[in-house]
Formats: sequence, C-alpha cells, structure tokens
Amino acid sequence: MSRLLAVESLSRRFGGLQAVADISFEVAEGEILGLIGPNGAGKTTAVNLISGVLKPSGGRVRLAERDVTGLPPHVLVARGLVRTFQATTVYAGQTVRENLLRGAFRHLYPGLVASLLGTGAARVRRLEADAHVDEVLRWLDLERVQHQVASALPYGFQKVLGMAIALAAEPRLIMLDEPAAGLSAAETDHVRDTIRLVRGRGISVVAIDHNMRFISDLCDRVFVMAQGRELAQGTPQQVLRNATVIEAYLGKSYAQARH
Amino acid sequence: MTRRPIVWLVVAVALVGWPWLTDDKFLHHVGVLLCITAIAASSLHLIVRTGHVSLAHAAFMGVGAYGSVLSVMNFGLPWIAGLVIGTGAATALALVVGPIVLRLTGKYFVLITFLFGEMVRMAIVDQAGFTGGSNGIFNVPPPADFLLSTRAYYYFALAFAVCGVGLCARILSSEFGRAINAIREGERLAECSGVPVIRIKVTVFVIACAMAGVAGVLQAHYIRYVGPEGFSIVQSLNLVVMNVIGGMASLAGALIGTAFMVTLPELLRGYVNVQQIMFGAILFATMAFLPGGLIELGRRLGALVRGRRAAASRVAT
Repeated sequence: MSRLLAVESLSRRFGGLQAVADISFEVAEGEILGLIGPNGAGKTTAVNLISGVLKPSGGRVRLAERDVTGLPPHVLVARGLVRTFQATTVYAGQTVRENLLRGAFRHLYPGLVASLLGTGAARVRRLEADAHVDEVLRWLDLERVQHQVASALPYGFQKVLGMAIALAAEPRLIMLDEPAAGLSAAETDHVRDTIRLVRGRGISVVAIDHNMRFISDLCDRVFVMAQGRELAQGTPQQVLRNATVIEAYLGKSYAQARH
Repeated sequence: MTRRPIVWLVVAVALVGWPWLTDDKFLHHVGVLLCITAIAASSLHLIVRTGHVSLAHAAFMGVGAYGSVLSVMNFGLPWIAGLVIGTGAATALALVVGPIVLRLTGKYFVLITFLFGEMVRMAIVDQAGFTGGSNGIFNVPPPADFLLSTRAYYYFALAFAVCGVGLCARILSSEFGRAINAIREGERLAECSGVPVIRIKVTVFVIACAMAGVAGVLQAHYIRYVGPEGFSIVQSLNLVVMNVIGGMASLAGALIGTAFMVTLPELLRGYVNVQQIMFGAILFATMAFLPGGLIELGRRLGALVRGRRAAASRVAT
C-alpha cells in the first residue's frame, strides 16, 4: 500500500493555547485511520488544519506526495481530500438527491459561461454527475429516500447522508468528524458498515471519535491525541494496551491497578 | 406543463400591448420606472440569494449613471459609449470592492455596504466641479431623439429589463445557481464540496453591480438628470424592501416587490398628507401577515383554488 496522506509536525496555536502540537502520521491508500482522544484533545482542529479550514502555524501536509499545506478546502477537494462536519452535515431543506448533486459540484460545474449557455460539455457533465450520484445513492442504500427532504430523515440517516455528500465529490481520502456521535447502537453499526463499504472502494478514511469500541472495531490503525499532542499510534490492540492511553482515558488509578 | 407557453405568450402580449390601450403619459412613465427598477431589484436579488444584503446597490446605479452622463456630456460621446463606460465603471468598482467586503457576512456586510454607499454619495457631492455637486447635472441628452417619447422609452427599457431579468433567471437555474444556493444554505459545507465560495460570491456581486450600473444609465438618460440624492441609502433600502416584501426566496418575489413598491406610491398620490403613513401601514401589514413575502399570497390562493377543484371533482365522481 502506498502512502496517500502524510502529516509532518503539524502545529497550530490560538493565542496562548497550543491546540495542536507537532503531530505526525501517515495514511496509506485504502486504510482506515482512527483519530481518537478525550474532549479538547485537538482532534477536530487537526482535521481542520489538514482539510484547509484552518491554516497551520507550523508543519506540512502532503497529499499523494504533493505539498498541500494551507491550501483552501475547495482546492483540496479537487485534489481528492474531502471532510465532513460534526454539526452542519447536510443541506436540511433540500432533497437527498439535491444534497448529493451539490456534493458533486466539482464534477458537475462546467464553468460560468458554459453553465449559462448550457453547452454540450455542460450537458455531458450533468449526465455523468447524475450517473455518479445514482451510484453513490445505490451503494449507501439511500435510493429509497432520494426524493425526501434531508431534515425529514432520522438522525442516523442524516449522518450517512453527510458522508454521501462527501463521497459524491469522488474523494481519494475522506475525513469524518465524529460520524457516530449521538447515534444509537444500531445506527452506529450502520455507520460502521458504511465506512467499511467506503474503504471497500479503495477510499482512505480518517475517522474521529471518542468511542473506543467503535474505533477499535473499525480501524486498521489508531492515532491517539491528548492536549494537542500525540499520545500513541499503532494497531487498535497495541494502543489499547498502552498504559499512557489508559491513563488519559480512564484515569491514573485505573492504569496503576492494572499493573 | 402544456399551459406554460400560453402563459408566457399572454405575458409578452400584455407587456408589449398595454401602452397602446392608453395615451396617458403618466402610465407610460410608471411603465418605464417599472422596467428600470426591475433590473436593479432583480440584480440585487442575485446578491440576496448568496445570503448577503447589500445596502450599496443604488450607489452602483449612481456610478453607472454618472459614468455615462459625464462621458456623454463632457466628451460628446454617443449614448452607447456612455452605456459601456457607465456599466464598465460600476463593474470595475465592484471588482475592486467585492473581494474585500465579501469576506464579511451578515450584519457586518450590511454595515460595510451601507458605509460604502454613503462614501460614493459623498464623493459625488464633494467633487462639485466635476459632478455638479448636490445640484446634480441637468439636460442629460436622451439616447436618441425618438426616445423623448415616453412610450418609445418604455419599449427601450423593456428590452433591457427582459434581458436583465432573463440573465438573472438563467443564472439561478444553472449549475452556477446551484452553487449560489449551496453557499447560502451551508457555506462551510459548500466550500468542503469544492465550491470556490469567495470566487462565486465575487462573480455574483460583479454581475449584479454591472446590472445596477445599466439600470442607472437607463434612468439618467430617461429622467435627463443625475443627482446624488437619487442614489442614496434611501434608494438602496427601497431595493432591499422590494426583495423582502416580494419574497426573498425567488426571483419572481423580487419582481412582485418591484411592481408593488413602484406602483403603490403612485396610487397613493391622491392622498398627499397621509401617503407615507398609508405606505408604511401597508408594508407593515404585508410583513406581518405574509412573512414569506407577497409571493406567498399567490401560493396560498393557488392552493385554495386547487383545493376547491379537488373537492369539486370528488363531489362529481
């Protein structure tokens, strides 16, 4: 497996607060990496830095061996890196299908003039995007609800829809910010299976969560953060045995009692 | 679906035919104002659809108007050159200002455009030697002598209005329009779907301000006068109110708002002393009972008629 994403000594400071300090990790093609840590560990900030929502104050991000540090999100989308959000994940007032068409914008949009004139090229792009959206709807099992308004869907479906919007952009790497937050056990399983499907397509995944069971079930490797720093990285089994991780998660007394 | 072309045909015949039903110059005059204002209001609608309310739109009309009038009257250029220069000036100004002010959103964008609009007005007043200051410039030539007839100018302005409103409709129904809607409903989400948010906002702003410039040129050569008060915050606010009262969610709303705001003061002209009060009361009532704008009235009536028909057909079967 070749290396798709490389994060090197990434840092970000907000005034006196070092939100992310010197973190480094890699994601291979088709790999699922879990990004885990207690609240306030800097997980979301790290994803914001990598996806271009925030500019890093230090370090590098490489995507497919090209330096993409500090590029704006829409440029990163064109390079194949798409991310989802914890809260605003869907266009609530639009149908599921329209949500996906918006996600497919970079494939759909032929440029201002072509789009106003409705040229042949614009029509070809429209047909291709329609076909691609149909495909995403099919493999995420959203076909039945494609004409429903997003806000009418159950919360678990909305989370899957958030992923579907990102997938409509045909990413090589998708970063999911707490895809299972606030979901029931059954819904969590559904999201987990969906993420596996995504990887099955050869798409790399970086998933943030603080649910250890969800992450260790799903991920090939795990990167643990606390207070903006790397605590550990490795396979879920390695990380779960790591004393500092247990301490950060469950407290000192629990860690000592086990040793 | 099959009724659509017929509706458009009726609208076209009505727009072209009505000036021949009356020789009343005043009605023709209201027609001209409607056409010019429709261009300005529908172009502002484009900006509103990106989620921004600009209070500088009349200022861009003013830049277009002064650009055209000054070049035509000082350099003896033909009207068409004035149109190009006036529109070009509004476009260029929007290209400079847009990328800066469009980084602001919400109330900050409203405030900065308000200030910018006032700056334009004060600049016009200040450069009196060049712009005629607060007196303005009189005796602006018409585009052509035959356009001194109000009826002729109506058709002239109507042609521009059809093109302008048509351009807005086309933009909103295109893939570009899809991006505009995505930005309004979820700017962060749109950006992370690959929508170049700032570039699209600036493009919309520039197109809209260019159209405002065209409206300004048409207005100046119609009333044959330009003055700073014609392009002040009051006019900008009027354009915003047209969008709000008609219904901000659709272009049709902006057009309904235009018709409402242009004709209502003319209809109330007989009651000079209470005109402003009645105008305000009607605006209040509209917003209170139709928060979605006047277009909501049409929708509700439509639903009522359909409901009746459905009930009637149930009885019949």
